Amino acid sequence: MAGLKDDPVLGINDMIETREETEIKDAVIDKVREEGGQGDREMAPMGNSIHRSGSRPQLDLSKAAIQGNSEERDPTILLPNQSDDISHLALDIGGSLIKLVYFSRHEDRTINDKRKKTVKERLGISNGNRRSYPILGGRLHFVKFETRKINECLDFISSKQLHRGGIDTHGWLSEAPANCSAVIKATGGGAYKFADLFKERLGVSLDKEDEMDCLVAGANFLLKAIRHEAFTHMEGHKEFVQIDHNDLFPYLLVNIGSGVSMIKVDGDGKFERVSGTNVGGGTYWGLGRLLTKCKSFDELLELSQRGDNRTIDMLVGDIYGGMDYSKIGLSASTIASSFGKAISEKKELEDYRPEDISLSLLRMISYNIGQISYLNALRFGLKRIFFGGFFIRGHAYTMDTISFAVHFWSKGDAQAMFLRHEGFLGALGAFMSYEKHGLDDLMVHQLVERFPMGAPYTGGKIHGPPLGDLNEKISWMEKFVLKGTEITAPVPMAPPGTTGLGGFEVPSSKGGTLRSDASALNVGVLHLVPTLEVFPLLADPKMYEPNTIDLSDHNELEYWFTVLSEHLPDLVDKAVASEGGTDDAKRRGDAFARVFSAHLARLMEEPAAYGKLGLANLLELREECLREFHFVDAYRSIKQRENEASLAVLPDLLMELDSMTEETRLLTLIEGVLAANIFDWGSRACVDLYHKGTIIEIYRMSRNKMQRPWRVDDFDVFKERMLGSADKKPHPHKRALLFVDNSGADIVLGMLPLARELIRRGTEVVLVANSLPALNDATAMELPDIVAEAAKHCDILRRAAEAGGLLVDAMINTLDGSKENTSSVPLMVVENGCGSPCIDLRQVSSELAAAAKDADLIILEGMGRALHTNFNARFKCDALKLAMVKNQRLAENLIKGNIYDCVCRYEPAS
Amino acid sequence: MDQRHDQIEGNSEPSHSFGQVSHLALDIGGTLIKVVYFSTSRDDCIDHEGDSSANNTLGVSKSGKHILEGRLHFAKFETRNINDCLEFISSKKLHLGGFQRCRNLAKDKNLIKATGGGAHKFAELFREKLGIDLDKEDEMDCLVAGANFLLKAVHREAYTYVGGEKEFMQIDQNDLYPYLLVNIGSGVSMIKVDGDGKFERVSGTNVGGGTFWGLGRLLTKCKSFDELLELSYRGNNRVIDMLVGDIYGGMDYSKIGLSSTTIASSFGKAVSDYKELEDYKPEDVARSLLRMISNNIGQIAYLNALQFGLKRIFFGGFFIQGQPYTMDTISVAVHFWSKGEAKAMFLRHEGFLGALGAYVSYAKNRLDDLVCNESIQIPVSASYAADPKYNPRNADLNDNESMQCSVYTA
Repeated sequence: MAGLKDDPVLGINDMIETREETEIKDAVIDKVREEGGQGDREMAPMGNSIHRSGSRPQLDLSKAAIQGNSEERDPTILLPNQSDDISHLALDIGGSLIKLVYFSRHEDRTINDKRKKTVKERLGISNGNRRSYPILGGRLHFVKFETRKINECLDFISSKQLHRGGIDTHGWLSEAPANCSAVIKATGGGAYKFADLFKERLGVSLDKEDEMDCLVAGANFLLKAIRHEAFTHMEGHKEFVQIDHNDLFPYLLVNIGSGVSMIKVDGDGKFERVSGTNVGGGTYWGLGRLLTKCKSFDELLELSQRGDNRTIDMLVGDIYGGMDYSKIGLSASTIASSFGKAISEKKELEDYRPEDISLSLLRMISYNIGQISYLNALRFGLKRIFFGGFFIRGHAYTMDTISFAVHFWSKGDAQAMFLRHEGFLGALGAFMSYEKHGLDDLMVHQLVERFPMGAPYTGGKIHGPPLGDLNEKISWMEKFVLKGTEITAPVPMAPPGTTGLGGFEVPSSKGGTLRSDASALNVGVLHLVPTLEVFPLLADPKMYEPNTIDLSDHNELEYWFTVLSEHLPDLVDKAVASEGGTDDAKRRGDAFARVFSAHLARLMEEPAAYGKLGLANLLELREECLREFHFVDAYRSIKQRENEASLAVLPDLLMELDSMTEETRLLTLIEGVLAANIFDWGSRACVDLYHKGTIIEIYRMSRNKMQRPWRVDDFDVFKERMLGSADKKPHPHKRALLFVDNSGADIVLGMLPLARELIRRGTEVVLVANSLPALNDATAMELPDIVAEAAKHCDILRRAAEAGGLLVDAMINTLDGSKENTSSVPLMVVENGCGSPCIDLRQVSSELAAAAKDADLIILEGMGRALHTNFNARFKCDALKLAMVKNQRLAENLIKGNIYDCVCRYEPAS
Repeated sequence: MDQRHDQIEGNSEPSHSFGQVSHLALDIGGTLIKVVYFSTSRDDCIDHEGDSSANNTLGVSKSGKHILEGRLHFAKFETRNINDCLEFISSKKLHLGGFQRCRNLAKDKNLIKATGGGAHKFAELFREKLGIDLDKEDEMDCLVAGANFLLKAVHREAYTYVGGEKEFMQIDQNDLYPYLLVNIGSGVSMIKVDGDGKFERVSGTNVGGGTFWGLGRLLTKCKSFDELLELSYRGNNRVIDMLVGDIYGGMDYSKIGLSSTTIASSFGKAVSDYKELEDYKPEDVARSLLRMISNNIGQIAYLNALQFGLKRIFFGGFFIQGQPYTMDTISVAVHFWSKGEAKAMFLRHEGFLGALGAYVSYAKNRLDDLVCNESIQIPVSASYAADPKYNPRNADLNDNESMQCSVYTA
């Protein structure tokens, strides 16, 4: 179908990606080494912890930058050349489209860091008692071409050297004999038809995999590995469905390509093609082409958006003179006969609008497929029907029609579901047919989908050159915007694009403004991060939903989009300044702003474009965007300044605390955490406040204003757990995980003193911080330095930090055999595996998961981690959620309070 | 189609138009109007009824019932040319005839049984033009009554069509139910029939005869449904359809039981070629279209039969028209999907189920309660036994024919 290769987005994404991979990849690879068997992976308690999480390629980016902290490294070293790229490729060559899936990763250059090792030992994860990761980290890319333009596909493969990747250059499939000529897994009819062409042009042999095998393998993988892969689509409303792995089978898989295959799937590799129909995507496009002269499938689909099928279809109402034939459940607008009106009127083909023809055709075929699918599902007692294949293309009307048919005929018993990666089932399955691809073992929590620069335009009409590096990427962005495509910030608000249609109902007129891909779902790049794990202390991981705020509420969505848009110019300033304010930084800043605005615009148009949208995703997207344009840490200097200022007043604060009684001190500490949480560059209100005084002034003012009871106040329960009642002293917690928020006063004057108190009471403390920078949040890389500085003035902290291996010098002492520090419980730092102001506890770093093993207290601090996400999360251990609400709307919605109200929510182990 | 209504009496005698008793029922569909009417003729009386009295054609049977001898006639018009139909009725004075006259029930004389959506839509027109009221009978009721009537009363009504061979099926009246009745009009209704008046519309599809004719008209500029059908008979669908072999480079995809000539995607080749509509022969287009629709209906029908455990599927409605290729495709589809378990059967009077049902409903409502279908004996006249299958034009047996019958009245 048309314009796929012209559909630059994918191509572009892709090309962009390649470059980035090179920059980023180092990190990913740790575990590969580790699997090698010497269970001594490097772990980074300090600066490098980020690096090691290997979780996200971006980690490397930050590593680069942050190590640049020491400024002695040349940044370019961190952008290694592409020869490290290891790629692997699989193809699905269908009658109309070629789908291509390829994998890329980088060699790791691990830095052997003794500090990492220490934390690893501390957490007991170095002794092989942690599971090893049988898979490589890397990225899966998805690209498509038109089959009739197969040369473009060949050029693409050739230019990226995809056919050379993997087998013969690097050791990814090192088991494969090195001398065999390159073999690429391929499926689809074209794998036979074009075998010679591939041999001739690229010198590769296509290893043909069975089409059905591939479809099923691809679908099973997607349904098991991607959290929000499947969704329903009724009357323009999209809803993601979380599928329980254990309750996936059996299902009916309907793959709508040129023709349609219907496959009953009973398990991995267990399936049967039970039916099919010859009326499929090829029929739509073929007939459509004959009838409308459209030049591409997409054009035809787009036409249908503006069509009115009543002019061509014979409706029940046309036959019954406008009355329903209600006796048999048919309403007047039910289509009695597709194209039935083309008979009775004295009109020729030219007299009909192509738009109307396209719509009639689309409905005829979609409805028909839905009906036959349902009948087959019924036959085998299958409740779930998944529709995939390139015919659908996330097209709202198609999906609505199919859903309607299934719903109508099943009387609501069966559900039509769609897949975000609908077109790539076969290619993905072919990819999986490589031995040792390792994808089988991937779990949902080990995949992160990213939407790089081109993503907002996927499905659009933007043509772009292959992008090699950041510079080209920026140029493309500039050119793109110059071309007049409207990207404005703040993003104009419009109601979400719903079709508002039942499958049979007549479409409401939508005018000519709606883009054909209005409801299309973007397919991002899948990052495989084997080290991510589900946080083990979640009480019910299956029911866990990180986001507190439902962005499917249009008002919420609009609010947050406005907030983010308004915040954008300031963020760009900060980011540019953080990179020295050079012209280059300014250019990158502009490009970042455009791209992020485009993302916002895309998401406003279709909130589900990137999968289920939560506030956490939205905030993380912004950080990802910054990293994409090499803004490693926009708040770097601000954070540093605030840390220093706060550290300067810490000794006084500690003295003040030490003079208090135990009970007063505990309250003061909690007050301090809440008070210090006011320092948050993510909050507009607070930023304004900063202009009014010094950090310590604001901190004191804030603390003095603390008036109990707080809006949510479980302090007394918490206190009883900590201090007990008069006659009964409770045993201290064994280990506490403190999820910290902002740098500066927040961490230094709020969380560190609290940590110190816990240590003093004999509780091990693990500070959990971001792997990557997000706003002014403290990162795991920065924490050791902060702790070390604080420890200079505090014995308790010093000994705990030494015990936790946070102080390099002390650690050396330990190695020398000094026993002095065993007298303290340790203070440790672990990274959380993410680079967002929020945290999704379904995907955390393996070291956090390891640290959680012995933890019996969790303290979540700050809006992002305790309110925006996890406010409703339940844990297996005691949990304390502390935050100051620095947003009026959130205060109203969440706690029915006001801005600057405080939350102290304590929930004993459930 | 209407061009042939002048042959209406062709099988009986030209003088038929003055037959004494006319009785009329209509099925006004979205595309076609089907007309069934009864007329008496002296010839018929003489030929068949030794015991009929000289009381005109109204006889009295041994059981004391009146026997009406005559012929049942079938005619059709395009709905868009409804005026032709009105003129036809008017010219034959059909709307004035009927049992009413015989039984002197003058007060009822203006009520005509009708079914189909148009019975509602055109009610005013009939009153205005002909001064008659359409007595609306439910469409499904009529279809089923018509089919039940034909299957029970008419010898050699049902047949299978496989590989160009027509084979008449002897249906045991006691083993008729349940069956699936697939009526392919403009759209398609699928009805599970469990007995007289016992049925349920279980499914249907909007891809039917109207789709064939509508799409076909747009694609080929044919001027009539019959012309389009005729074209399709000469076409080659391989030019336009994407076959399994086209995808697999000529090889079968035998693993899943698809031969290389199986259609993978109807009209799928129209995508990959650099050809426009004008570059395709209308014959080929028509053929692809016919196969697409027949195949699809056959498949959906089979799936529904399967769902309800029905072994027999009768296909009726105007789409089929006794068209060999259509029947063949449907038969193949049913055979293919059922792996030979289910059989597609066709009805010689396929197009007139609704109209016949409406006609039969006179018996239900007007005639004595004792009168039931068995009392209507319709010997099939030998005049149309000749098998016209070699000529697609004449393939539709039910077009504008008549059959001789006796009607017992109270």
